[in-house]
Amino acid sequence: MSIVAKKICNFKINDQEVTAPEGMPILDAAQRNGFQITNLCFNRKLKPFAACRTCMVEVKDDDKKELVYSCTHPVTDGIEVQINTEETDRYNNACLELLLVEHPLDCPICDKSGICPLQDNTEAMGIYDGRFEIKRRNEPSIKTNPIIEFYLNRCIMCGMCVRVCDETQGVQALDFHRRGYGVVIGTANEEPLDCEFCGQCITVCPTGALNDLTSQARGLAALFKNTYSTCNYCSWGCTVKLETKSGQLIRVEADETLGLGINDGNLCAKGRFGHGFVQSEKRLKVPMANVGGSFQEITWTEAIKTIAERLQSTVNRNGPAAIAGIASEKMTNEEAYLFQKLFRQSLGSNQVTNLQNVRAPYINEFMQKCFDNGIESKPVTELENSDVVLIFNSDLPSEYPVGGNSVRKGVIFTGTDIILANPRKVLFKSEAKNQIELTFSVGSDMALANRLSKIIIDKKLVDLSKAKKAVPNYDDWVKSLDACTSDQAQNHTGLDDAKLTKAAECFARPADRYVLVGNDILENAQGEGALNALLNLCILVHAGGEGSVSVFPPREHCNSQGVNDMGVTPQYLPGYQKVDKKSSAALAKAWGMDTLDLDQKNYAENLFESCISGEIKALFVSGEDPLSSYYKGSLAKDALKTIPFLIVQDSFMTPTAEMADLILPSCSYAEKDGTFTNMTRHIQAIREVVLPEGSARPEFDVFQEIAEALGKPFNTGSIEEVQKEIESVVPEYKDAFKGKGSPQWKPSQTGSKPGFAISEDYKEPKDQKGFPFKLITNNHMFHIGNYTQHCDALNVVSGEQSVQINRKDAQAQKIENGDKIKVESKNHSTILTAEVNGVSTPGTVYISKNWVEHSVNLFRNGEEGYVPVKISKAK
Amino acid sequence: MTTTETEVKEETSPEEEAFDYSKVEEIIESLPQKSRRHLIPVLQRVQGAYRYLPEEAMDILIEELKISRAEIYGVISFYPGLMITEPGKYILKVCVGTACFVKGCEIICNKVDEQYHIKVGETDEKKLFTLQTASCMGNCGAAPILVVGDDFYGNLDPEETLSTLGSYEDKE
Repeated sequence: MSIVAKKICNFKINDQEVTAPEGMPILDAAQRNGFQITNLCFNRKLKPFAACRTCMVEVKDDDKKELVYSCTHPVTDGIEVQINTEETDRYNNACLELLLVEHPLDCPICDKSGICPLQDNTEAMGIYDGRFEIKRRNEPSIKTNPIIEFYLNRCIMCGMCVRVCDETQGVQALDFHRRGYGVVIGTANEEPLDCEFCGQCITVCPTGALNDLTSQARGLAALFKNTYSTCNYCSWGCTVKLETKSGQLIRVEADETLGLGINDGNLCAKGRFGHGFVQSEKRLKVPMANVGGSFQEITWTEAIKTIAERLQSTVNRNGPAAIAGIASEKMTNEEAYLFQKLFRQSLGSNQVTNLQNVRAPYINEFMQKCFDNGIESKPVTELENSDVVLIFNSDLPSEYPVGGNSVRKGVIFTGTDIILANPRKVLFKSEAKNQIELTFSVGSDMALANRLSKIIIDKKLVDLSKAKKAVPNYDDWVKSLDACTSDQAQNHTGLDDAKLTKAAECFARPADRYVLVGNDILENAQGEGALNALLNLCILVHAGGEGSVSVFPPREHCNSQGVNDMGVTPQYLPGYQKVDKKSSAALAKAWGMDTLDLDQKNYAENLFESCISGEIKALFVSGEDPLSSYYKGSLAKDALKTIPFLIVQDSFMTPTAEMADLILPSCSYAEKDGTFTNMTRHIQAIREVVLPEGSARPEFDVFQEIAEALGKPFNTGSIEEVQKEIESVVPEYKDAFKGKGSPQWKPSQTGSKPGFAISEDYKEPKDQKGFPFKLITNNHMFHIGNYTQHCDALNVVSGEQSVQINRKDAQAQKIENGDKIKVESKNHSTILTAEVNGVSTPGTVYISKNWVEHSVNLFRNGEEGYVPVKISKAK
Repeated sequence: MTTTETEVKEETSPEEEAFDYSKVEEIIESLPQKSRRHLIPVLQRVQGAYRYLPEEAMDILIEELKISRAEIYGVISFYPGLMITEPGKYILKVCVGTACFVKGCEIICNKVDEQYHIKVGETDEKKLFTLQTASCMGNCGAAPILVVGDDFYGNLDPEETLSTLGSYEDKE
């Protein structure tokens, strides 16, 4: 909740006593208390609008009777509301009847049929014979963009699409045109829609005027089989409704039911239109063995037997530590748990990890340090009630689009202030009264966070004595900030102190603060230092300020958090237990073993180097494609070339799979059961809705069979049994798997060990002679990871890969939009199309990393930080 | 839309350099504050300066007044007086109010269409005339009324429409 508490009003609806916060529209309050009022244009995410005129109620205030529209009339103390009086019905009915004059009754072929508020309201009011002459429109449907169809004959001008596009998404691609008798919804001058393609307009449209062109679904949505699941893309963890018909996954929709999931019925382009990969023809369907350079189909029995034999012989010859595993950050918690159990229990190896942990193990530490300091973070559903949001190093509309939706809702209903700190001039459109944009010099994140802390201390913006008392090494830390003067900050970050002071004052004021950290921070050579500096800033306002601080660590994929929680790291056992004798013994007990010896060298820490140096002899890559995804692509390639035995489990033939000795086809998120944990630690279920493609099998079953073939089977069988075991081994997950909610796990050590994380001094990123630009890379707005490339709908809207260059830089080299540009680093060069804009700041270029043809990770040659590159017009 | 776009001014490509931005920039500079609340007067002044609302000028307004493309054209589409294509040299306003209707405004429109092949809202090939209608000019005693550019013709015999317009053609 925001720190500004709202007064609670007591009033009556249909003579029943109810309560609601002051200012809430009567309609919302009635719905929350179980009353139904006819309406077509109300959505609690949006500002009240009163377009449809069908929600009239009678309100008695001090015996004065009034007829009001319940979607705009706020509740006040002591009012008496009557729904469905003879008089209000007369008005509401008339408006509905007028809508039905124009609205076609093509319900059998309408996507909304069965979930259509117009149908429901007509039915509820019993309007079977309208009094007016029917005069239907008969315009052709508009299909000028590949994804969203406009069939405006069904449009009732509620304006929901226009409002959601503006208020929730901040895009404003749609508006009313030719207002008056000929009014229509559409784009400027009927141009093809060019937007973020979030499809929110489809969700909110009450009548099927806007349809999802990518789905084969046509008509009677109510007859589809709907299953609630969790999206498998970014780590925001949106609840999705998977719609199936005759064994086909035909559509993904959002559901706006109150209290369902954490996303408030919002979805982004990836979540909604990115389901084409599930039943793609390119899916791997059978296990395959690499026989002399070509892949041959084998049976599952053969595959499991070969794996068990090869792994066992490697253990016998080179010891258990010679076997390593990489788990996908898209694995379910249950699978991740079994993956590390397979390694630790059945093979005796502690060499398990995931790609984020190989690259940035400090992110897990960052999270732990937050907990140690008592910053345990509120549920993400509270984001919309925040007073201040600090968006640090994240291009929110691309990285967490639904996070952006929540922030915008906060701006409208809570008055949230936004601080946007990013080395690129990323755009976050909102109606915020106070949006402070800190576009800092690339790489100077740490200098920025330190200066903000320093300003708070110097200006005594929080109670410093309270902070000093609460955190033991306060003095040392303050001393370490001595060098962070305004001049130096200006020098490093390029921001003047007045602006930074404004940001510091905004962040330090009594408030409920949310800090969203983006994955861009991993690009920084001093990523750990930057996170520590940010952590210190949060500790300072947490310990000395009023209100609260919630920090969410950067996590990229849907279960990046969960695989770490489940102990798929060499440094932690499940539940972030240190790998020591005591914890190993506890784990052995849970697994029904006498002892568990995991005292071995940590080769997985530098996994790929260990493969090259020969320490690791066999590698099991489950659902990951390091060749395309690991930030040092050439290192991963060298490692996989060297490794004697490589198992790859994946849904598609990835570059990594092409190097494998054995390939196992795996299941997508729609073909298995389990849970994902999102970056804000909400544990949410995914469900099997379609049968696996070919003979693909869930990783869960495969790990079990390998353990059995190794002669050391697990003491658990079903998913429920594994969940029970997780609950006992990781106490934070207790009761997390029950029901349909989105429980957030709470750390046990909250506030136990407060302390600032004093780290090395800030070092300016080095320039490399001849390579004047710094390359920044992250996920594209329509892509994340490697599955979205197999979704035609997303490919068609994302277009080709481009290199974003600042206008000034482009002008200097006479580069224009659309030119072919050669981008070169010391290690690699490629030719891409130029996108000249103002998002890239001078001296930086940005390339999305999601195209396999131009793997961005090949630019890097072992170095950390931003890769120095040069650009020139291609000949 | 690839990634988030920015609100920085577009650089001009060689073809666009011919466009005279100074007039729209001057209009924006003269505003008390750069805010969407001045949108309609600004649109009127831009149309006054350029005779219509050129896309290049609208792009500047979109950036400077922080308004979306859909929204600005949504507003423009409401007002028949705001034009997004360049009109002919003379704008013909045919009054279609009750009195003018009775006195044969329809014949005037048909005559114009016969000769110049333009319907209401359209411009002829030579870019000489643009045909518009007006609901009532408040001078019903002089019905039917035709306004050509700045010239007012009352009590017009519909049959003489073309000869009246012909004099403008001769001026060319």
